[in-house]
Amino acid sequence: MTSPAIHISDLHKSYEDTIALTGVNLTIEDGEFYGLLGPNGAGKTTTIHILTGLVLKNSGVTEVYGKDTVKDFRFTRSQIGIAHQELPIDWFFPIEKLLYFHAGYYGISKRIAKPRVEELLERLGLKDKRTSRLRQLSGGMKRRYQLAKSLVHDPKIIILDEPTAGVDVELRHELWDYLRELHKNGKTILLTTHYIEEAELLCEKVGIIDKGQIIKEGSPRDLTKELGKAGINIHMTGWCDELNEALSSFSFTYDDNRLHFTVKEPEADMARIIQLLSHHNCHILSVSAEKSSLEDVFLHLTGKGIN
Amino acid sequence: MSGTNWIGLYTLTQREVSRFFSVYRQTVLPGLISSALYIMIFGFTLERRISEINGVPYTLFILPGLIMMNTLTNSSSNSASSMLQMKLLQQLPDILTAPLSSLEICLAYIIGGTVRGVVNGVLVMLVGVLLVDMPIEQPLATIGFIFLVSWTFSSLGLLLGQLADTWDQLAMMQNFFLTPLSFLGGIFYSIHMLPDWAQKISMINPIYYMINGIRYTVLGIYDSPPLNSMIMTIFMTILFTVAAILVMKSGKKIKQ
Repeated sequence: MTSPAIHISDLHKSYEDTIALTGVNLTIEDGEFYGLLGPNGAGKTTTIHILTGLVLKNSGVTEVYGKDTVKDFRFTRSQIGIAHQELPIDWFFPIEKLLYFHAGYYGISKRIAKPRVEELLERLGLKDKRTSRLRQLSGGMKRRYQLAKSLVHDPKIIILDEPTAGVDVELRHELWDYLRELHKNGKTILLTTHYIEEAELLCEKVGIIDKGQIIKEGSPRDLTKELGKAGINIHMTGWCDELNEALSSFSFTYDDNRLHFTVKEPEADMARIIQLLSHHNCHILSVSAEKSSLEDVFLHLTGKGIN
Repeated sequence: MSGTNWIGLYTLTQREVSRFFSVYRQTVLPGLISSALYIMIFGFTLERRISEINGVPYTLFILPGLIMMNTLTNSSSNSASSMLQMKLLQQLPDILTAPLSSLEICLAYIIGGTVRGVVNGVLVMLVGVLLVDMPIEQPLATIGFIFLVSWTFSSLGLLLGQLADTWDQLAMMQNFFLTPLSFLGGIFYSIHMLPDWAQKISMINPIYYMINGIRYTVLGIYDSPPLNSMIMTIFMTILFTVAAILVMKSGKKIKQ
């Protein structure tokens, strides 16, 4: 059996007077697209920083492809490309040169890095800006540069810390497309985000982290199914008492010609409910479905919104 | 990747060296100009009052000290400012998340500062040769000594850069310790010109030994035995290099 791309077990970390992580357990399989969701200060960035060597852990296991991130740091770090949330500033070198430097830190010579750098500059729309300094780039361009930098050594695992924070909608969608492409090409992606929609659209699996612990994990679909609050609203006339019996397998309320059903999967249950109402000669005036989202799940689990 | 990350070490070193050459107006030219000014103002004017020290014309006497002052100021400020800048501008995470060991990172910064120290030291030496026809008794030993002092102060600069949180803290270390110790190390005078108590104090100033050492390799004169200078410089080199590496390894003020 092959080792998971990332394995974290019982990870603890405290800063001087703050407890940041209180036993994080996390396993990300090779090729998986994983989203780490949590409010500010939940422990997302600390977890990532421990994994990449920026923060020292107090205790716990952190492994990349079965190797310890401290003892075998050369191996583990060379497998990871990270796009940090904070945008760096560099006054001295053009971005193309910075990408070559970055490849060099990972042991890749300029000759070998050249095609990769060219490809990334082209693919991320930075070709015309290759001689620009970072300070001359817009926020969106700096985000693209961050992504290019994280990919320049062709890592197997890509860690993206809030990759679309502060970028416009168009660029966000462009970046999403690119992330999907990377995932399709076999990359393992760990994404932290404030945008629930981002995690719902991109991730195969999400982990909800709060107060330094992962409190729930699963696919966005399974989580919303299990913990979401989906529903069906029906405006109708012709209510009869027999319907209480007929609809007894559902959780519903009826008031002022309005029926409200609390269901897990509105699309699946809607047809059956309509069929039952029609069978009892009810006249349906309107039907609407309320779809559950990860936001509901998040609220349910943490008692607060992600932002 | 196993063993040493040679390409990584080379790349980071190249970055450090390119960085200061790209702003040579700030990092190379000022030392040359100030040294030329010291020679003209201090040397030519004071030479009328102090014609010779230890049998050497005053202008020639101060030149090794100027070489040393430029060397140590440039080498220490290069690694210190580069490290602090990388911390403050969020560039350091790129280095710390790469497969580079603490030793490799330190070596790259130290070599970068050493190159700047050597370039500045050698250029001031050439200014001396060109302006006042300074003789160099032991050219290879002089360059070797400049290299060793550059390494020492580049390591010290890296140590300070790692420990500092602000530019103010860094400036305090340089203005309140390095510059006074340089000036009190005998750049402009022989310590034998000082009262006994001041001579004794000078003996605990490591920079005094470095100036004494280079004065010996350039002019062949010395206040203390040259071997003491060599021993002290090697000791300081090892001390600051090891300290810089250990602090990097501990992650103090760099990793949380």
